[in-house]
Amino acid sequence: MTAPCKFDQVFDAERKLQYVNGEASVMHCHHYATIFTKLALDTPHLNGPENLFEAMEETAYLTLRKYFLVESISSPADRQAIASQYFALCGLGLVSLEIDENGGRASMRHSHVDEGWLKKWGPRRKPVNLMGQGYLAGAMSAIFDQPVGTYRVKETRSIVSGAEASELAIQRR
Amino acid sequence: MTFWKGDPFMAIDRKRAIEDLAQIKMKGNTDGLMPAMGVLIQFLPVSFWNSFSEKMLKAGGSLYCRTVEKGLERAAHECGYHTGYGIVNSDEFNAVVGPMIEKVPEDVLHGAYAVFTAWGWADAEIVELVPQERMVVRAYGYYEAEIRDTFPVRRPCAYMIQGVSAAFMDIAYGGPYPEGLYKYKCRQTKGIEVGDPYGEFVVVPA
Repeated sequence: MTAPCKFDQVFDAERKLQYVNGEASVMHCHHYATIFTKLALDTPHLNGPENLFEAMEETAYLTLRKYFLVESISSPADRQAIASQYFALCGLGLVSLEIDENGGRASMRHSHVDEGWLKKWGPRRKPVNLMGQGYLAGAMSAIFDQPVGTYRVKETRSIVSGAEASELAIQRR
Repeated sequence: MTFWKGDPFMAIDRKRAIEDLAQIKMKGNTDGLMPAMGVLIQFLPVSFWNSFSEKMLKAGGSLYCRTVEKGLERAAHECGYHTGYGIVNSDEFNAVVGPMIEKVPEDVLHGAYAVFTAWGWADAEIVELVPQERMVVRAYGYYEAEIRDTFPVRRPCAYMIQGVSAAFMDIAYGGPYPEGLYKYKCRQTKGIEVGDPYGEFVVVPA
């Protein structure tokens, strides 16, 4: 079992930037995340949903891949544990994974985007967690040494729609 | 009374406030959530936010550019209003900035920009403040400017600073929370992303 995921927050007083594990990072609230999400969902003609998914997919991939390299974490099981822990440490929610390199499923008992959406606007019939879906796709690519864009993620049950936990299916494209 | 940058009567020790506020550590709890200051927070790489903005601006082109800009500014305006209100009423803010406050809400506004800087949103400060009428903010560095590395920027596009600056004036002068939202608006007049030495943001009543 690998060591717990690091989440080392350092302020660069010269550049006035916060860094987490050496990466420039910033805190925002659920209002920010849910309005970004709403902008994405309201603009399918601009590929809004895909843009939000892919932005998080690329970020998760690069962040986790760098972490695995720096910390010399090579086994998929250890990488999977780090990916789940990092998701929680940065406040995106609580996720458990049952995966292999061909895909699998994820269960989220807590979700920043869903719970933020509920606080701001109330329930919604369709899924909203594009950021969580993108994170899982990027994490899968980082865990199994695949290129970004290898995996698709479909949310089948959602906290925002009243489910106790969100359920997501992950497949190779 | 108008405040100008360098005012010797300024009560807020900005440098000390930034140093102290920057030490506050945040991470998700056992539920993977970060509840604080009346909102849920997440702590993500700046590349994510910039990447989405860039993808949307590219997709929007000239036809839908305003739709995208308004959405991005709105996110920051509402974020800044609700989180900002939580921040200036938090124990952390009161512990660090509270003892320096002599005049409300002007000193609170200056303190809010210390938080803005300490938490990595932007190295920004108020350079002119006419209570209730006008605020000018300068940002000497901000993550949104990095978009210029990968996107041909035609006009200033620091939507996060625009929205949060308008929100901070809403909090200060817009009336009792939560009724004060969108009482002020912000126009960005300079931007590092378009080659200026700093970003400049002018806030006036909406």
